[in-house]
Amino acid sequence: MPFWKKGTTGGEPTRIFYACDIHGSEPTYRKFLNAAKFYEVDALVFGGDLMGKLLIPIVRDAGGGYRARLQGKEHRIRSEEELKRFKQTLQTLGFYWQEMDPDEYRSYEGNQARIDELFDVLAKQRLAEWVALAEERLAGTSVRAYLCGGNDDTDVVLSALEEVPQDRVVSAENRAVPLDDEHVVVTVGYSTPTPWETPRERTDPEIAEVIEKVMAEVPDPSRAIFNFHCPPLDSSLDTCMKLDASVWPPTPVLVNKQPVYYGAGSQAVTEALERFQPTVGLHGHIHESRGMARFGRTPAYNPGSEYGEGVLRGLIVAIRDGEVLGHQFTSG
Amino acid sequence: MAEAVAPQVFTRRASGLVRVMSPYSAFIYNILTMGVIFPWTYIWAPTAFQGSSLVLGIVFAFVFELPIALAYVWLATALPRSGGDYVFQSRVFGGGFGFTVVFAFFVVWILQWVALSGWLLASLGIAPTFLGLGATTDIGFFTDIGTWAASANGIIIISVANALIALVLLVTGFRNYVRFQYVMWYAILLSFGVVLLLFLTTNPTEAQASLNTFAGNVDGVSNFYGTAVAGAKDLGVSFAPPFWLWGTLLVAPIAWTSLQWATYSVEQGGEIKNAHVFRNQAFIMVGSLVATAGLLILLALAMQKGIGQEGILVASSGYYLGNGAATIGGGYMFPNLIAMGLTASPIIVAIIGVGFILNSFQIVCNCYIGTTRIMVAQGLDGLLPDWFARVNARFKTPVNAHIAYFLAALPVIWGFNKVASWTRWTLGVTFANGAVMVISALAAALLPYRAKKLYEASPGAKYRLGGGIPTVTVIGLLGFLLGGFMVAAFIFVPELGLAYSSDALPWAIVLGTAAFGLIVYFVMRSVRASKGVKVSYAFAEIPPE
Repeated sequence: MPFWKKGTTGGEPTRIFYACDIHGSEPTYRKFLNAAKFYEVDALVFGGDLMGKLLIPIVRDAGGGYRARLQGKEHRIRSEEELKRFKQTLQTLGFYWQEMDPDEYRSYEGNQARIDELFDVLAKQRLAEWVALAEERLAGTSVRAYLCGGNDDTDVVLSALEEVPQDRVVSAENRAVPLDDEHVVVTVGYSTPTPWETPRERTDPEIAEVIEKVMAEVPDPSRAIFNFHCPPLDSSLDTCMKLDASVWPPTPVLVNKQPVYYGAGSQAVTEALERFQPTVGLHGHIHESRGMARFGRTPAYNPGSEYGEGVLRGLIVAIRDGEVLGHQFTSG
Repeated sequence: MAEAVAPQVFTRRASGLVRVMSPYSAFIYNILTMGVIFPWTYIWAPTAFQGSSLVLGIVFAFVFELPIALAYVWLATALPRSGGDYVFQSRVFGGGFGFTVVFAFFVVWILQWVALSGWLLASLGIAPTFLGLGATTDIGFFTDIGTWAASANGIIIISVANALIALVLLVTGFRNYVRFQYVMWYAILLSFGVVLLLFLTTNPTEAQASLNTFAGNVDGVSNFYGTAVAGAKDLGVSFAPPFWLWGTLLVAPIAWTSLQWATYSVEQGGEIKNAHVFRNQAFIMVGSLVATAGLLILLALAMQKGIGQEGILVASSGYYLGNGAATIGGGYMFPNLIAMGLTASPIIVAIIGVGFILNSFQIVCNCYIGTTRIMVAQGLDGLLPDWFARVNARFKTPVNAHIAYFLAALPVIWGFNKVASWTRWTLGVTFANGAVMVISALAAALLPYRAKKLYEASPGAKYRLGGGIPTVTVIGLLGFLLGGFMVAAFIFVPELGLAYSSDALPWAIVLGTAAFGLIVYFVMRSVRASKGVKVSYAFAEIPPE
């Protein structure tokens, strides 16, 4: 046991591994759990968007085998071995699947409410499995995994974080929870409204209210780790293409045939970083906007996401005494 | 059980990820980067390797580059990220190696291209355009501008202005560049087409008469062509040499100095729309290679028709052998200058000139775009200070990296134009740039073994040869060997690079840049370690189990 406490003056720095936006990808989540040992960190912090975005119906054929559509191509699956490989591909991509008969498939067609229900069932099941896997992988270590949702996750699915018995996994959503002897993790998983009308979007005043409420529990804001899914507005951590939300799916806004870029972050998050001057800001949401920015003394990061390729993009931050000593972006 | 259905995918309301520069824009970018309009081959190869075939040499360069470009397709789809070559090499060979090679041989050595692009703009764009306008309109002011643009001070001022304008264009938004690229593309195509047409609609006898008139108007000389031929003969040029196959093979590395840039779009891979799609990358890199090689061959054939082999050798003697009689207005007889001499129309001269001016400007833009993306990737990996990786919140561009590169280019611009020995000191540029691409081809070959999970998740993983050997391994190795031949030629063949001088200094400079890269790597590694992080984590692939 170290003589000095973790994260305090004169002690060893606390090393955090942060990642987000894995959207149901099984190998990426497994890498996230393995990051604790691999990168020799003290805590795993996840920044939201656990749920996958697509559900692939695998429909039984009358003559045996299955049919499914993936990435614009129809796949004929002829054997159980092929089915196994196909499911592995779906797992990597972060998609859900359900085997069904043609009649059952037809009963879902055009019924978005039923499809959403099926998404929730399968996603919640996967999240419960993930919590159990985290408990198993982190058992016997001092590492905790701080999990929360993002704007793409539904409340129904996130309820799995509360329902499954936990020791190593911390349900961090909208809470301030201790990280080490000195610092607390403050988590807010909402985002500002998006053209995609995702399940957990809030206006800036609503996000500000949630932050205010959670920060009321924090005695020293300078020792807070902000785990806010939504990045600060116009910070370079939130740059993405402007989309036309009047069509579905939303399409890029073009001016002179060129895409228009803008900051899709949250003003409430910017103001919180500027006002509270926490130890660090950890953000996600905009996958293509990997980078760092500074708000007074506070550095803020977005490691980006490449979950679809099975790549875990992340960030290691070493903190001590309310300050970031060093950081390292990872791509493993 | 009911009848079979063709199932669709079920979706829900979730955020989507949309990417940036279109594959077509990236395709154009590569063609312009190859500098279709600045083919050194025509003024370098004919007298460097007398008896060689220009057309066949370009074909060899295309064949040698093809497996390299294909290997890059695998790399770019497996790792569609900005920082291209650095990302590929660091993930396959490790951070120290990848950083040192790409930082030293690309980021540092491409500074030479910033200076060179200014020189191209002044010497091949502005100077000949104004000299041509002066000659065709008989207005002395134009001739004076042209003469000033070809002087050392003129070139320095034009080069700095060129770099500064590109800096402003690029830092104020990448989309500004992408938009302007279309203007450059169509203007350059028009210019190139006009040059072709001028060569195709004349013959050597008429061309000689036209060049005599043109040079007479610009320099006040008489019988320009006859004097240039005599000068070339004095310098040992044989106008009817027998065909030389080995010499033709050695033309390939020269043509490769253009064609090797077919893969340069990988440096901004993270900004290309659907960059992970195999056919997109094949179109962007292999497609641009095919198109540019085709255009270069077409130009060689057109020159052959318009000024004949003798004319090509005379033009080449002005550059490679220093035949002062074979220059016009102090400028080398690049195809554009010759084409200007073939017309009496100031409008045609202006069209040709604008194309060359814009392509010169594109070259400096691509120097910035590629190297700043590499610096941002290296900064994010912790191998350069964070300052380099910072993206400006207002402009959404890596402003700091751009400014740093502009400042670093200033002394190189000065040295390039003011220091007499500069060209001799920097003979390693052909080797250094080529080495990066060849090492990336090797990285592609080793990708399935050194970054297994990453490779298996990539779209190219499905392509295998007999015995289960990954196709990329064979293609990458082929590219490494063929590219290795050309890189070795830059080292050992006196006409091509480092061996041109017996001086040890050019070698020391190449090794010095590599040592500089290695020192930066070790310093940054120590700095990061003192702050509780290991840079090696940036390159490591985490096992899922």
